[in-house]
Amino acid sequence: MPEVYTSNKDKNIKQELTPSGEVRHHLPGHTHNPLGAYCFRPDNVTFETQDQGEKIVLFLRQHPIVNLPWIALTILLFFAPAILINFPLLSFLPANFQFIAHLIWYLLVAAYAVESALAWFFNVYIVTDERVVDVDFINLLHREITEAKIDNIQDTHHAVGGVLRTIFNFGDVIIQTAGTAQNIEFERVPNPASVSRVVQELRLEEEQEKIEGRVR
Amino acid sequence: MILDIINIWFIVKLLFLFALAIYLIFASVVVRQVYLMTETVKVGFEFPVRIIAWVYLFGAISVFLIALFTL
Repeated sequence: MPEVYTSNKDKNIKQELTPSGEVRHHLPGHTHNPLGAYCFRPDNVTFETQDQGEKIVLFLRQHPIVNLPWIALTILLFFAPAILINFPLLSFLPANFQFIAHLIWYLLVAAYAVESALAWFFNVYIVTDERVVDVDFINLLHREITEAKIDNIQDTHHAVGGVLRTIFNFGDVIIQTAGTAQNIEFERVPNPASVSRVVQELRLEEEQEKIEGRVR
Repeated sequence: MILDIINIWFIVKLLFLFALAIYLIFASVVVRQVYLMTETVKVGFEFPVRIIAWVYLFGAISVFLIALFTL
């Protein structure tokens, strides 16, 4: 069906959220860093259940500052044997057993560091022009993927509380969905206000498409 | 006598090897999970992440072999 009328507001939203070509490279929040926590209109990101023609508007991870505690603990644990050298806890063991015990200690530290790093790297939130996807990498044996269609979203709000969150501008974005569908929560993402705004605008655009009968 | 062969350090060695074998399974799960996750979401950083997972697994295998031959 040919488009009879498109409001200016709708045009602006669409242009802003799904810019084409070179335009998006100059948009604020657009980055090519694969370890970035906030990327507006990413170039190289795809996900398993992405539909043909579905465009990713936002790609999010938790703010990098949330990695500080586990990195600090890993460094501390790594140097713990050297720090505790004056407390011979393993002296009852023969030398070769002590050596292997040290190696096992470093393996455990590596396990902790690898799991924490992977949990941050794979715990991602994706907002497309059709839905929001929450990929939770809970631990090495458990992952969970939650999706909600944009037209099922009823409301979004964000919360920023605490010293660290205020300084580094990160917080939670809560996306309420209709009916029995599970609410989606983007935890500790950078620029929560702007994330919330983008989701709201996508919702408005989806409503407009529905009214005009342009729903895919 | 069998008790001469099975001394306390032999039992400790078996415990060490058992713990390391469990760890090897865990490291294999890490590699598998990394492959699954990199298939789920592709961000253009799959190769380095997979390399890290393999290095981690080879580290676990190395420690297991070192323990097997030095204990």
